[in-house]
Amino acid sequence: MTKIEPNSFLPLPQAQFHVLAALTAGEMHGYAIMQAVEDSSAGVVRMGPATLYGTLKRLVDFGLAEEIERSPAPDDDQRRRYYRLTGLGERVCAAEADRLSHLVRRTRSNLRPRLA
Amino acid sequence: MSTHGRIYRSLLWLYPREFRREYGDDLVQNFNDMLAFNGVRATWARTSIDLIITVPRYRLETLMSEQKSATTINIALVVLCALAALSLTTGISPISTVLFIVALVLAFVQRGALARAIRTPSNNSRRKRLRVSAILTVVTAASLFSYFYDLNDNEISTPSLLLHNAIGTSAMVGAVVYLLVGLFTPREPASSKTV
Repeated sequence: MTKIEPNSFLPLPQAQFHVLAALTAGEMHGYAIMQAVEDSSAGVVRMGPATLYGTLKRLVDFGLAEEIERSPAPDDDQRRRYYRLTGLGERVCAAEADRLSHLVRRTRSNLRPRLA
Repeated sequence: MSTHGRIYRSLLWLYPREFRREYGDDLVQNFNDMLAFNGVRATWARTSIDLIITVPRYRLETLMSEQKSATTINIALVVLCALAALSLTTGISPISTVLFIVALVLAFVQRGALARAIRTPSNNSRRKRLRVSAILTVVTAASLFSYFYDLNDNEISTPSLLLHNAIGTSAMVGAVVYLLVGLFTPREPASSKTV
């Protein structure tokens, strides 16, 4: 069995990171992911349907997310497909968040003297 | 299904068949959700941009993901470069310019597959690419040696010159490309194997 190193996926493309970050809240269907991405980016990142499903396809192919069998809620459409993070997806998302957080810290510390 | 939904479903034919089959229903459902929550204008504004960006991208990705197509493009690329070099040596520079432009476009198309191939750690691929580069280097050297040998004997004819250029140039380009791809292909980390 081969253990995949999360860092080998970094840096993640923006769309992939946004979708993974949305899925950290739990299992979701496509439209819910789209809304979560829009909310978490304060409306800056707005995905179209094909961008979203192309990204989901890639994440599933890489083993970072998976489609799940889920009994839909009574008011939910039975045809909806739900997705969730895999263990590897969680580790990759955490690694990318750490990388970005380090970048943000460094950028802030570089900018602070100039903005003061 | 609404008229807008039907229009969007018919536009899905622009996407590669595999993507359409796998996600067609989800895309339409997503589109209908957007219609219900965001309204017609906002939905079409976002979806139109999405179509313009993703249709050519997914088409190209599908093209590049097929090994057969990738090989065909590689061969076409080498042939075009060789033809361009030939037309340069014979003084037909407008044709060579066009051929080089076409080759550049193909190289750009090929870049995605190349980048993916380079990023995937594999000791076997790395060895194979470096071996191909070494073989092509030998071919280039042999072609150059033969060219200068003919030149010294003053026996070089136009067809011979063209042949030398065609073989030498394509082998040299190939050697450099395979060398770079080989060197940039990461080795599999020893720690990645677990028992």
